[in-house]
Amino acid sequence: MEIAILVLSFIILVAIRVPVAWSIGISSLLTIIISVKTIPAFTTIAQRVVTGLDSFSLLAIPFFILAGHIMNKGGIAKRLIAFAKAIVGSLPGGLAHVNIVAAMLFGAIAGSAGAAAAAIGGFMSSQMEKEGYNKEYGVAVNVTSATTGLLIPPSNIFIIYSLASGGVSIGALFLAGYLPGLLTGFMLMVVAYIWAKRKGYPTANKSSFNLLLKTFIGAVPSLFLLIVVIGGIVAGIFTATEASSVAVLYCILLSLLYKEVQLKDFKTIFVESTVTISVVMLLIAMSLAMSWVMSYENIPQMVTDSLLALSDNKWVVLIIINLILLFIGIFMDMTPAVLIFTPIFLPVVTAMGIDPVHFGIIMVLNLCIGLCTPPVGAVLFIGVGVADTTIQKVIKPLLPLFLAMLVALVIITIFPEISLWLPGLFDLV
Amino acid sequence: MRFKLNTFLEWTLAILLALMIIDVLWGVLTRYLLNAQSSWTDELARYFLIWIGMLGAAYASGKNLHIAIDLISATLSIKNLKRLTVFIALLISVFVFLIFIIGGSRYVYIAFKLGQLSPALHIPMGIVYSIFPLSGLIIIYFKLNDLAMLFSQKLNPSEWK
Repeated sequence: MEIAILVLSFIILVAIRVPVAWSIGISSLLTIIISVKTIPAFTTIAQRVVTGLDSFSLLAIPFFILAGHIMNKGGIAKRLIAFAKAIVGSLPGGLAHVNIVAAMLFGAIAGSAGAAAAAIGGFMSSQMEKEGYNKEYGVAVNVTSATTGLLIPPSNIFIIYSLASGGVSIGALFLAGYLPGLLTGFMLMVVAYIWAKRKGYPTANKSSFNLLLKTFIGAVPSLFLLIVVIGGIVAGIFTATEASSVAVLYCILLSLLYKEVQLKDFKTIFVESTVTISVVMLLIAMSLAMSWVMSYENIPQMVTDSLLALSDNKWVVLIIINLILLFIGIFMDMTPAVLIFTPIFLPVVTAMGIDPVHFGIIMVLNLCIGLCTPPVGAVLFIGVGVADTTIQKVIKPLLPLFLAMLVALVIITIFPEISLWLPGLFDLV
Repeated sequence: MRFKLNTFLEWTLAILLALMIIDVLWGVLTRYLLNAQSSWTDELARYFLIWIGMLGAAYASGKNLHIAIDLISATLSIKNLKRLTVFIALLISVFVFLIFIIGGSRYVYIAFKLGQLSPALHIPMGIVYSIFPLSGLIIIYFKLNDLAMLFSQKLNPSEWK
């Protein structure tokens, strides 16, 4: 009964264009009000919202968003694109590969798919059009590679997963993301290669060693940030929050050094970051309230029981969960989806002997695919907006890339070693 | 008024964000360089985050930035779209009134009554939580202002979320 009210009211609210964050809050309220008296129910939800935000690990989220904005304006994104171009620009359909590699590098540092899609897409789409690429194909490449960057650390979504799962190590999740992220990126590049061959897209000349060296040196300070952040977290020197604050300081200093921004530009950067942060924080607050309502109503237990009643085969359950997550990812943004569904599915999968770190990777990749699913994926919207085209036109070139991501998801689900090998080397799983 | 309030929130949020980053960096600095972390930095940063989260929710409401999935506005007539928009604004206002203002005020009241103080800085927790009903008031103001603009034809419902 409670479950039906929660799910139905949420779907109806989202469908009639109530903002997702408010839909989450309102459907939670409708659910809790059945079993708790009104005034205490209001106070309890208020309390869950405030105490939910009162968390030191959540601080990493605004900081990584801020770092991403500074990189975008401060010339860091530009240098990463130049480096990517020197490495893969000479493959057939080179600019598509440049986009994929740049998004993986940038997403890896900024920790946000939206930021990567906007930063890289804005820069690449005009170049690709100039060289005769189909614009919609450019958008398809941009959105799929931007979401892939989420798997590569540092990634805000793993911090959220760590919080929602009740403390899976952030260091382990970060390391676990590398190989699946590279694998997914590689799959996208295979599709881009075949597509370029068939469409006869241009192949640029091989970049000279000098250019490679020059762009590499240009990118070193940005790449060094990764070593500081990931190295610091894995080695236990920093918490993720401390690392993210150091990342902000580093990006400020670097962009001042590059002389691409002046002190007064930071006002704009801070305000723009504030916009992104504001939207994300309300989603987080409302999702935490919904997650609490669900556990109060015993919904995770019910889902566990019914899933286990369907099958006690690990693979069948994983396939069902994967399908549910793919469906959810289509109409729910990643952050609320992870906060709400981790507490529901994690007990089921751990009972079946699946490692929580491995499940985190499966879940994130799954929802990444959702972010670029037509008609409503959030990153798809950003990519289409940046290139000034429509979602309908993007669907056709998107399809093969989308399939590549699905294949990567299947491989990563079947072989936990891909996720767990690297953190295992550091004794983190 | 609306414009001024938005600009005020924008500045406040940007400054809070800057203070928050300085605070956490100070914590890192004292921990690694002076080997004695100030006890208050973590606590203060968390309270900054509550304020940023709540005021940010209000700011994003004022600018209609909260993400909505638009599947139906193309299928509705202008008249029905307007009705729907009014309904959504009222729905959000009611929710915010119940949770942010009634629930939030009670939560603040309880914190004051119990005399809760923060562990390191000894700030009354009621002050920290008071941002909750306050942002609620701002959100409701924005939503009612949306309605007023909608009825005076200054706002196009298809642009509204």
